[in-house]
Amino acid sequence: MLAASTTPAAEGRIGGLAAELPSLRLVHQRCCLCGVEDAEPVAVGEDFEYRTSRDSFVAMRCRRCGLIYLNPRPAASEFDRIYPPAYHAFDFSPESFGLAHRARSRLEARRLLAYGKHLGPRASIVDVGCGDGFHLALLKQYGQPGWRLAGVDASERAVAAARTRGLDVHLGTVETAPLTPASFDLALLIATVEHVENPLQLMQAAARLLRPGGRVVVVTDNTATLDFRWFGARHWGGYHFPRHWNLFHRPALRRLAELAGLEVVELTTVLSPVNWVYSIRNRLADRGYGRWIIERFSLKAPLALAAFTILDGCFQIFRRGALLKLVAEKPHV
Amino acid sequence: MSSASAPVAVVGAGIAGLTAANFLRRNGVPVVLLEGGKQIAGMASSYVDERGFHYDAGAHFITNRLAAAVGVSSQCRDVAYYGESFLLRGKAYSYPFGLLRVPRFVASALKGKVAGPFARRSVRNAPVGESLRGSHGPDNSRSQGSPSPANGDSRASAGDFAETCPRVPTAADWFRSEFGDALANEVSLPILEAWSGLPADQLSAAVGEKLQNSILRTLYLKLHSRLQGRAISIGYSHEMREGPHVWHVYPERGVSQVCERLLEGLENVIEMESPVEQIIVDGGRVVAIRAAGRVREVAAVVSTVPAPILPKLIAGSDLLEPLRNFTFRGMTFVCLCFEKRGILPDTVLWTAGAGLPFFRLTETPRSMPWLAPAGKTIITCDIGCQPGDETWTLDDETLARRCLDGLASLYPGLHAFYAGSRVLRTPIAYPIYRVDYEPARRRFAGGTGIDGLYSIGRNGEFAHILMEDIYWRTLRKMNELIVRLPRRYACATASLP
Repeated sequence: MLAASTTPAAEGRIGGLAAELPSLRLVHQRCCLCGVEDAEPVAVGEDFEYRTSRDSFVAMRCRRCGLIYLNPRPAASEFDRIYPPAYHAFDFSPESFGLAHRARSRLEARRLLAYGKHLGPRASIVDVGCGDGFHLALLKQYGQPGWRLAGVDASERAVAAARTRGLDVHLGTVETAPLTPASFDLALLIATVEHVENPLQLMQAAARLLRPGGRVVVVTDNTATLDFRWFGARHWGGYHFPRHWNLFHRPALRRLAELAGLEVVELTTVLSPVNWVYSIRNRLADRGYGRWIIERFSLKAPLALAAFTILDGCFQIFRRGALLKLVAEKPHV
Repeated sequence: MSSASAPVAVVGAGIAGLTAANFLRRNGVPVVLLEGGKQIAGMASSYVDERGFHYDAGAHFITNRLAAAVGVSSQCRDVAYYGESFLLRGKAYSYPFGLLRVPRFVASALKGKVAGPFARRSVRNAPVGESLRGSHGPDNSRSQGSPSPANGDSRASAGDFAETCPRVPTAADWFRSEFGDALANEVSLPILEAWSGLPADQLSAAVGEKLQNSILRTLYLKLHSRLQGRAISIGYSHEMREGPHVWHVYPERGVSQVCERLLEGLENVIEMESPVEQIIVDGGRVVAIRAAGRVREVAAVVSTVPAPILPKLIAGSDLLEPLRNFTFRGMTFVCLCFEKRGILPDTVLWTAGAGLPFFRLTETPRSMPWLAPAGKTIITCDIGCQPGDETWTLDDETLARRCLDGLASLYPGLHAFYAGSRVLRTPIAYPIYRVDYEPARRRFAGGTGIDGLYSIGRNGEFAHILMEDIYWRTLRKMNELIVRLPRRYACATASLP
């Protein structure tokens, strides 16, 4: 007999509590770098952006390596719930995002070409977690015509959107996608490692796809920033509750690459206004401000994006930009 | 130590035991959970009568952080407001804003701030401070053969526990140095004495440790509470930092819902009605446990047994004998139902020193309206007691009538709205930090001294901790346990990259 001492009388009295959104199935996880669950809470928050559930989530910091991870996090089976059809990465189109799309396209194209500047005219590039193919399309447009481009994403909607752009994109994970091992010169993991269950397995799988001497570029949210310090107890945009499951600072990201058998070539930051903008948006939404002010802080709000691009640019001078960028190379032996 | 299949035995299925068992199990450690009674949830249990009045024996609410960590947040309601007031000379003063309107209390608080550091230094420099470090500190040479740097849940030895010292700083010293004479003598000390049943000069200064927030920080959090319309946690959680983003929530079906969630996945390892009869220690380490007449080999024991009872269960070591002196304060909770709501000026009204039969009143529906039917309320009157004393033996009806009369002396006309009562008694409510066993208590707070024996939870740790503290402290201790287990147990470490 395992009854708790609550009487059934309680059952009927909770009817008023909204049941319109069922709870997510949650699972506990360990630090993907240390393999243990020895962590302390740093934040508790909700899905401020899409309101996909009524659950709150705890961001935990590993006491051993400093990685911040969601624990418990939604089970993998909840993928379609936490990435709703309106999720921005499924359709970051010029029609929907206007000026922000144009500015970001220009900025990202410049960055991508920098990542690939060492590549020859026949290089192979894979974008892991390619979403709707935004980066691959830029490479196709601005890169060398002989480059072989491929992408992988776990979302059917995202893959469908990418394929309409004429891109070669596989549905599934990098571990299962039909891609030839040791055949790529560059693997891009842009805004990907924070979304997956096990970033280490992802990095190891990406490393297997690389030729010796091939490089992986990881871009992910940086937890060693001022915006994290100010908003990190709840509203920080980088948490993206409950979709970012692992968040890094420099030492943790370096460790991730090293554990995957890669040699770190460069570990720096790049600027992005997004976490600033969404930190403010989340705070306003959480405090019940009106939509008119909340909507001033989004990916569709050029003024806020411009202002915080300038601000984060100042931090970038001191290598404290909002995003971490890691370039690592697969050793020859 | 023990065979490869020997599990870790967790004793007691309250929130601490369930947290421990759940954590160990999900981290790949074989575990058996032994519960002496027929029900889980221990002090966290709730009861709802047929009319819809809720009676919580233990914690009335948890925090949004704990709810999220356990995975019950979507089944919780936010608590919009929580406040406490003090009854002084027939008038209620809210905390802290009301008290700050009384000039002599402000002067007292300022005096505490200015003169306090000097006084506190003298309190800290009292002999017990030295007895806890230096020659009486952690002594691994006496750790009875453990290869680990610290001995399980332990950094103590029998000698340390038995140690006494000539003078321990008292609660009276601490409160006067911290808050000044007026606040200490008129507000803090009467509550402390009514709550503990002892004069403040017989209590250790350690009782003040849980009052960690400064007045300024309390004001800051109170302000946030008003702005956000949420009952921000103030002084509830000590293990993890409080802030404007940690507030009180209440699970739909009572706080025992946390325990039900933690029970998930443990159905095959829990054994109900299996009271533990003996914890067998050999060579300074736990080797076996006897429960319901059956002896089994164990890798470790995680106990939630109240600290003074623990030595009675241990065979093969007298290390914990000094714990027998530790005492708990019993409590009688007299719950009075009324056909009216909003009787008290705040959720809690402290009445110590007012010559009433209770020292604290709590009207939970002021914070959580759903705990009573619409327009009605329930007020809990807290009376400190010990088994066998007058309060303990008095019949429920007389006790309820006595409390009702006391309440009506504050709020005339209440008799007309009275709608029945329910009396709950517990012999183990609050650990009493008496000065005479303070050195032993502090040693015990550092560990049991027996390799492989961990004492957790409010009663097991003999500590003033509430549900969230219990949760995080238990996880921390279970991490220590996993690290010290032989590698074959710790699947968590086996998956190290």
